[in-house]
Amino acid sequence: MGFFKKKSYSKLHANSISTSQMMKPGSTNELKINLQENIKRIKDSLGKSSDIIIREIRFGKEESIKAGIIYTDGLTDTTSLQNFILETLMIDINGTELQKKLSPDQNLISVLKDFAMTVGEIKELTNFEELFTGLLSGDTIILIDGYAQGLIISNKHWVERGVTEASAQVVVRGPREGFSENLRVNTALVRRRLKDPNLWMESKVIGKRTKTNVAMMYIKGIANDKIVKEVRLRLDKIDIDGILESGNIEELIQDAPYSPFPTIFNTERSDVVAAALLEGRVAILVDGTPFVLIVPALFVQFFQSSEDYYQRADIASLIRLLRFFAFAIAMLAPALFIAITTFNHTMLPTGLLISLAAQREGAPFPAFVEAIIMEVTFEILREAGLRMPRNIGSAISIVGAFVIGTAAVEAGIISAAMVIVVSITAISSFVSPTYNLAISGRMLRFGFMALAASFGLLGITIGLIALLLHLCSLRSFGVPYMSSIAPFNLSDQKDTFILLPIWKMFTRPRLISQQNIVRQQDSASAKPEPPINKRV
Amino acid sequence: MKKCMLVLLILIPLLTGCWDKRELNELGITLAIGIDKVEGEYQVTTQVVVPSEISMKTSTGRSPVILFQEKGETVYEAFRKITKTSPRKIYPGHLRMLVLGEDLAEEGIAESLELMSRYRELRSDFFVAIAKDRTAEEVLNVRTTIESIPANKMFNSLQTSEASWAATNGIKLDELIASMTSDGKEAVLTGILVTGDQEKGSSKKNVESINPSARIVYDELAVFKKDKLVGWLTERESRGYNGIVNEVQNSVTAISCPEEGKATIEIIQADTKMKGKINKGKPEVDVNIKVKGNVGEVECQINLNDLDTIVELEKITEKQMEETVNLTIETLQKQYKSDIFGFGEAIHRSNPKEWKKLKEHWDEEFAGMTVNVKVDVKLVHTGTEGNSFLEKIEVK
Repeated sequence: MGFFKKKSYSKLHANSISTSQMMKPGSTNELKINLQENIKRIKDSLGKSSDIIIREIRFGKEESIKAGIIYTDGLTDTTSLQNFILETLMIDINGTELQKKLSPDQNLISVLKDFAMTVGEIKELTNFEELFTGLLSGDTIILIDGYAQGLIISNKHWVERGVTEASAQVVVRGPREGFSENLRVNTALVRRRLKDPNLWMESKVIGKRTKTNVAMMYIKGIANDKIVKEVRLRLDKIDIDGILESGNIEELIQDAPYSPFPTIFNTERSDVVAAALLEGRVAILVDGTPFVLIVPALFVQFFQSSEDYYQRADIASLIRLLRFFAFAIAMLAPALFIAITTFNHTMLPTGLLISLAAQREGAPFPAFVEAIIMEVTFEILREAGLRMPRNIGSAISIVGAFVIGTAAVEAGIISAAMVIVVSITAISSFVSPTYNLAISGRMLRFGFMALAASFGLLGITIGLIALLLHLCSLRSFGVPYMSSIAPFNLSDQKDTFILLPIWKMFTRPRLISQQNIVRQQDSASAKPEPPINKRV
Repeated sequence: MKKCMLVLLILIPLLTGCWDKRELNELGITLAIGIDKVEGEYQVTTQVVVPSEISMKTSTGRSPVILFQEKGETVYEAFRKITKTSPRKIYPGHLRMLVLGEDLAEEGIAESLELMSRYRELRSDFFVAIAKDRTAEEVLNVRTTIESIPANKMFNSLQTSEASWAATNGIKLDELIASMTSDGKEAVLTGILVTGDQEKGSSKKNVESINPSARIVYDELAVFKKDKLVGWLTERESRGYNGIVNEVQNSVTAISCPEEGKATIEIIQADTKMKGKINKGKPEVDVNIKVKGNVGEVECQINLNDLDTIVELEKITEKQMEETVNLTIETLQKQYKSDIFGFGEAIHRSNPKEWKKLKEHWDEEFAGMTVNVKVDVKLVHTGTEGNSFLEKIEVK
């Protein structure tokens, strides 16, 4: 395993830059008493970046107080800075009682904080680490000459995408709103759906350079404490310079990093998060991305769409079964076709055998090569369609349909039946309501095709057994991945392959929330019963 | 290092894979095989499908099947020799018909069937038939229309005639072997023959004409003793046989009306119970046939609205069927001395101890045994009419 040898990164670690490195060597982290010294240090540390604005003002009794106002242009709300800080200090204050108070013999910091600043969130700060974090996330910093303290005023404001329709998980019936890139907006969207005082939120800052805000949400009393603790532990263990998307966190905290199956669910829909929280799961919201992570995630969860619960249960059940079926097709159809046409001919009805054989007359490649050619072509088209600018997309679909559909068959390179199989496979792979499970199926498809080409149905069977063993061995945050099927749980079958009406769902999923299991009382009150024999 | 080994171990089997892979266009799909005995050697004829002629798109009008033929000391040898002439290895996995020549059948069919039951690519669900007055090769050498693959035509018409006429009996390989090896039952096989001019049958002209000069027809049943053909039943006897062994699903039978003219009864359900017993040291078999039928056709003056008429028709039908069945049994007892009905098995089931004594000389016992036949007919419907419109024509 020479080529996988682990390099020692310990030396590199020593060089990793933390905030303290931004300061001059030998200097302490604490603010200095001298304003100029502080300002100089800020300038040196930030390399005179042009979006950092440093404004020095004088105010107070006989304009005796020197202060510096520092903020990041573009991240700070300049209107509120103007109205509530600069105008207050420099104009409104003149001739008032307050001006008298603002004399060097008072503790200016607490006077300013308690009396002068007409903004909501304000904190005192004493060291440069807080200063830089606040400054670079859009807060305004006020430093006063003669004090080794400062004020940090939260008036962040920047241009961002608003709450728009969720585009990755589309529903016909159900709320349209999807999360946006702003963590606060996202937590607000969840809070709006769950007005429960037990909805708790823990905030963390992850990423040494990005300082990404991450929030963990769960309902105290429903979520299993052990799972909450485990999530907290895994998040705290992360030691990385940057988190740009929740996918980074997902990879850093997932249970089975080498498994093709996702053990963490993600969604951009606030109703899905609310429903998950109600089931006792834990949501991890990351600033800068609309995708929220939900743990623990179970295999069947990836086949559930939020729309299932808003529709009639009967149609939702049928559609859910269809999804499982489509997943099996997306994973196995080409493999089965290869196996049956090259090894297990006896399985075909005679008429079909002859008709397939007729199509294969003169076909130059073995079925496996044909399938690989078609599948790879399709994957290329799919990827091209995704990455192309939208207005060129239609050109791709025309060429793709022509290449895959007609030309390959007419040129005699591919047999017509293979085109049907590949198309069915492709369409089936789009049925999955979650993108990441569909990807697992897509990857495994090629493995199964190789197995089918070498061993026929026997190979597929062995592959499926191995896959099943693997799935059963997975766990997501301590919960068996296949749970409610293996380990079997009768009461959770209400929401596994089929879906019972909501008035029959009395309990939360067993293994996720082990405390506070009851959702609603008994069937007598839950089942809707119209007043029969009574005329309204 | 361990991981590396594991990956290699997983990859190694992939290298050995594919050894028995056969693409669809490497198969010589054979739907019918004929076996004859010519000059002391086995002659195997295979009817191989030409797939491109079956498909609508690529069809050029040439024959949809092709015959390959080889001789050999054993069946398997001859079968394998076919690769000398065939571009593709014969794939008999979808075999529908096995046709055995009459000459071979008279000498004994057991040896030629051994391969068929042993060969790993074969399923045992194909029909076996005897080419009457012909060689198997001649039967396979006839082009058919509607079903352009002759093997399919043979398979389908045997299936339908078995189900709705009941004079033929589709015997599959495993049934055949079971009755050949059983002590108390002899084998029958359905006969297949070519009518008309067999010479012209293989050419394209045969299917271009509205009235083909050669046709493949199923005929009566062939009676075996052990594995040797001993004779043929008539059509009436064949139907009698099917009645006794409970193989009638649906059929029609013509009967005489009480006064004059004819009527037809459609049998919609028939159930036969066969019970063997020993009566005063002699074997005896009760055959009870329960038939449910409809009045299918009336070509005489009867009043169907009268329940008595129905009862009378039932009586006539019962009598006629009993006659047919008795005739069949008599033929087998007197002429062929072959227990194709499985009366021996019935005795064996009811009285195993006595059977041990009887089975040594069962052929003689069978020839002389008593068979009590009882037919019970129930007529349930009279079709979409009451009395026939013929009545009104007569009145005028």
